[in-house]
Amino acid sequence: MMGRTIFIDPGRCIGCQACVSACRECDSHRGKSMIHLDYPDEGHSVASLPTVCMHCEDPVAPCAEVCPADAILVTADGVVQQADTTRCIGCANCVNACPFGVPKIDLQAKLQMKCNLCYDRTAYGLAPMCATVCPTGALFYGTLDELRAERPGVQVADSFTFGSTTVATGVAMVVPADKVQWPVPGGLPVVEINGRDVR
Amino acid sequence: MTEPPQTVEPTPGPGDPAAGALATDGPAPGEPPAAGPTPQTPAAVRRRASLAGAVVSALLVIAIVFGSRLLRDFDSALLPYAVATVFLAFGVAYRYTVWVSAPGARRLFKQGRRSFFSAANFRKAPTALPKMIATYLGFQKFLGARSHARWAAHQLVFWGCLLAAAITFPLTWGWFTFTSSTGSGPGYEMRIWGFKVLGFDSLSFFGWIMFHGLDIAAVLVIAGASYFLWRRMKDRGAITGQRFAYDLVPLICLVVISVTGLLLTFSSIFLHGGGYEFLAVLHMVSVVFTLIYIPFGKFFHIVQRPAAVGMQLFKYTSRRKDEAVLACRRCHEPIDTAPYVENLQGTMRDLDLRFDTWAEYCPRCKRVLRGTAYLDHVKKGFK
Repeated sequence: MMGRTIFIDPGRCIGCQACVSACRECDSHRGKSMIHLDYPDEGHSVASLPTVCMHCEDPVAPCAEVCPADAILVTADGVVQQADTTRCIGCANCVNACPFGVPKIDLQAKLQMKCNLCYDRTAYGLAPMCATVCPTGALFYGTLDELRAERPGVQVADSFTFGSTTVATGVAMVVPADKVQWPVPGGLPVVEINGRDVR
Repeated sequence: MTEPPQTVEPTPGPGDPAAGALATDGPAPGEPPAAGPTPQTPAAVRRRASLAGAVVSALLVIAIVFGSRLLRDFDSALLPYAVATVFLAFGVAYRYTVWVSAPGARRLFKQGRRSFFSAANFRKAPTALPKMIATYLGFQKFLGARSHARWAAHQLVFWGCLLAAAITFPLTWGWFTFTSSTGSGPGYEMRIWGFKVLGFDSLSFFGWIMFHGLDIAAVLVIAGASYFLWRRMKDRGAITGQRFAYDLVPLICLVVISVTGLLLTFSSIFLHGGGYEFLAVLHMVSVVFTLIYIPFGKFFHIVQRPAAVGMQLFKYTSRRKDEAVLACRRCHEPIDTAPYVENLQGTMRDLDLRFDTWAEYCPRCKRVLRGTAYLDHVKKGFK
């Protein structure tokens, strides 16, 4: 987990889309929103899940590893940048390899784009657009100490399991205290009968 | 901006002359991709890259010696440029070898090469490859989708550099010569490898074009590169994360080369050669630096970009029929062509990313499944 990072608490998310609108205002991808807001059980539950780039640390940035054009740079501060416009060939390897479903691709422009933690802001100590506008604190930007100063006793997890693989990330999620010792399930269905998911 | 569906190209319509290309090779959908080769150690890759660099630069030296008729046509004043191109050849071959040795690039390179050399593909869609080369490499249509201004500026830089390279590289290597039987003209002969190709009057319009091709190229490059420099100062998206050595140095190099080149012409026409020697040295230093910089900086995209054609050709030829497109296992939205996803899964296994089955789900379903898992197993009160 990075020092200053985003902490996501889906339990606080009310699905208001403020983060989606604010993301569109980010200078590094103006007019295009990179955050995802999904409703996992739409029609039955008001639960919503904001997804920003998790800035994977171990294995470091699978999107960058599978990139055939060396287009995705990971800066020294652990931020996985969006594809270098000069190099990206629009192959979508990163889109399909990302375990969190983060990168987007513009097929006409042959260009991948993704959340870069609002690098134009965070590089200067400002919070990313999404965390700045989130009205409920579902997206919090700061250090773990700063989060705990606001929410005493809060626990976070920064590792996720996908099958037998655990991915450690730079961005963390808030979890209940009794779940903190286990990695958060990444959602990869593992139970199949005749090739069909039965989860 | 699109997300799913992830099919990389729309299904070709009946009017598409390249429609109907069928692939005859590549693993069938559902068939596991071949296991990747044993990972190479960095030292082995470096050795192979050094060898490739040495072979390519040696071949270039031989081509220069024989192309200049055993150095009879070689202009010794251009020696620093020729030496720089030999270093360039080494650097490009070295970097290229290192690049295609990485798992992602290696697999794509092999698939692209297989598609390229497939006789069946060529018979069924002979125009597909030329069309892709013209679209991606020549007219760079994808840049227009990013920004019309950037497309226009890039076209100016691209054609300017191409024109300049087409003139200067053969001149530097002693492959082209311009000779006059009357000593100072106006009748000139252009020879390639010693063979006369054409004769022209240097005072004619064609002659002017022949002798000012580099000036025209310089004007094109200055216009394009100046726009990009302006953009690097003003566009906040471009400024984010830009690095001086990577983003600005190439543009500064192009402008310096072009301006000093134009000043050489200015000096010879208007200053009777005043300051020519100084300008010639400045021009030479900037060109030599740029040539040596090409393999290691932003200009390497010139070498990398053809991978886009290989990638498109691979996807195009593997789109044999509807079932060749892999659908998301959960929502059944198309993800990409099945051989492409299998190729990606092979890359992931090469890299020990053991969640390759996850590539069979679309990005949205990955997020929704993760949200559902969080809902069910982590924070039930989330409901």
